[in-house]
Amino acid sequence: MDFEALWLTLRLAAGTTAILLVAGLPLAWWIASGRGAGRAVVQALVALPLVLPPTVVGFYLLVMLGPLTAPGRLLIRLFGHSLAFSFSGLLVGSVIYSLPFAVQPLVAGFGLVDRGYTEAAAGLGASPWRTFRTVVMPLTRGSLLTSAVLAFTHTVGEFGVVLMLGGNIPGATQTLSISLYDQVQDFNYAAANRTALALVIISLAALIVIYSRRGSGLGRGELV
Amino acid sequence: MSERAHLSFAMRHRQGALVFDAAFELAQPWTVLFGPSGSGKTTVLRAIAGLMRPAAGQIVLGCDTPRVLFDRAVGIDMPAHRRGVRLAAQVATLFPNMTVRENIAYGVPGDATEVVEETLQRFHLDRLSEAMPWKLSGGERQRAAVARAVASAITLKDSGLLLLDEPFAGLDLRLRDDLLGDLRSWLAATHTPVLSVTHDVGEAFQLGAEVIKFDDGRVLRQGPVEAVLAEERERLLDQLSRKDMQGEFKPL
Repeated sequence: MDFEALWLTLRLAAGTTAILLVAGLPLAWWIASGRGAGRAVVQALVALPLVLPPTVVGFYLLVMLGPLTAPGRLLIRLFGHSLAFSFSGLLVGSVIYSLPFAVQPLVAGFGLVDRGYTEAAAGLGASPWRTFRTVVMPLTRGSLLTSAVLAFTHTVGEFGVVLMLGGNIPGATQTLSISLYDQVQDFNYAAANRTALALVIISLAALIVIYSRRGSGLGRGELV
Repeated sequence: MSERAHLSFAMRHRQGALVFDAAFELAQPWTVLFGPSGSGKTTVLRAIAGLMRPAAGQIVLGCDTPRVLFDRAVGIDMPAHRRGVRLAAQVATLFPNMTVRENIAYGVPGDATEVVEETLQRFHLDRLSEAMPWKLSGGERQRAAVARAVASAITLKDSGLLLLDEPFAGLDLRLRDDLLGDLRSWLAATHTPVLSVTHDVGEAFQLGAEVIKFDDGRVLRQGPVEAVLAEERERLLDQLSRKDMQGEFKPL
């Protein structure tokens, strides 16, 4: 069992999930409650990683983060080095690639919140932020959990983006899925079996968390 | 705007087949907006509360220090939560994640907990205070939703306005009469002005010294209830006496 790769994978998944929850909540709320032509474009961009091959996303991110583009040069100036082939680069790639898995459950959950509740809160003098915090969020806790679990597990299982963007540097960018690939290439099936089993256990445990919680908050008025 | 008016309202708007061209001023503590279903009364309340944006018009609240809530011509559209207006909508939407007490406390400042207790008592909700909304009957939910808006309006520091949309439509007559009398005196004592909507002639007579007769997006007449709704009252009494003569009313 490659514990270094396991630790790196868990760090990457936790960091990605934290960033996606902070950035995904306002984005999902805007998509679910906003209007305008820009919304369809943003929704399409958010969903794009679902339909693109991971290698395509990885390739463009590799180019974007390198010295050939203006954003890449800016990041190099800020960090002192290119984000490609580094843990920070992997984090950027994972956030973009797992974005739809975090945002779409939130959009679906927010869409279930009756407009009457948010209007009732406004009619009682509550600001949009207070309404979101005290009414919308408590009613959609299930979506928040689903969003976090899917973002985490999807990051744990990433392969194409990680390989393109991070290479395969042990201790820096080698995650469990890439370690598994290496073990199979080396015909080390016993180690590959342990690594694959670890990935199965992580994913299964996360899904059990979602399904065991489903419906448990309905008595407190939760919608999902 | 006249000196005594605490709300000056003007609105032009098109909503489906309904064309609004309405203007009125409120000067009495309790004014009733009376009209048939579909005449646009709820839309007027939503415009005052800031939940919809009219195509044109101006809404000014307060007589001593008037505040412009909305003025399309100069681009003022104050957010709903800053307007100092409290609304109880026609459909009672209690927050399902909160108890009745928490719902009523939602729009009340933290230092005014005694208002929450008094509201629970006045609306006969004390025994239901810890119940979740889904455990309440339709009438109880309606009562709690009105109570929530009333409690919030009473604690407004600046001059505000309470909007009630068909507040007692789902209640039985005895409870409605009981609540209305108490609510009128309480709101008068706390100097909380009210604009309520109804299509019920009896309720209009019971509630308002002042009535705005409204239909098809327009104000037809405004004045004392006896003058404005005299025709409707006669028609209602006539219908009742005919039903009585036909023996439709049987002793219980």
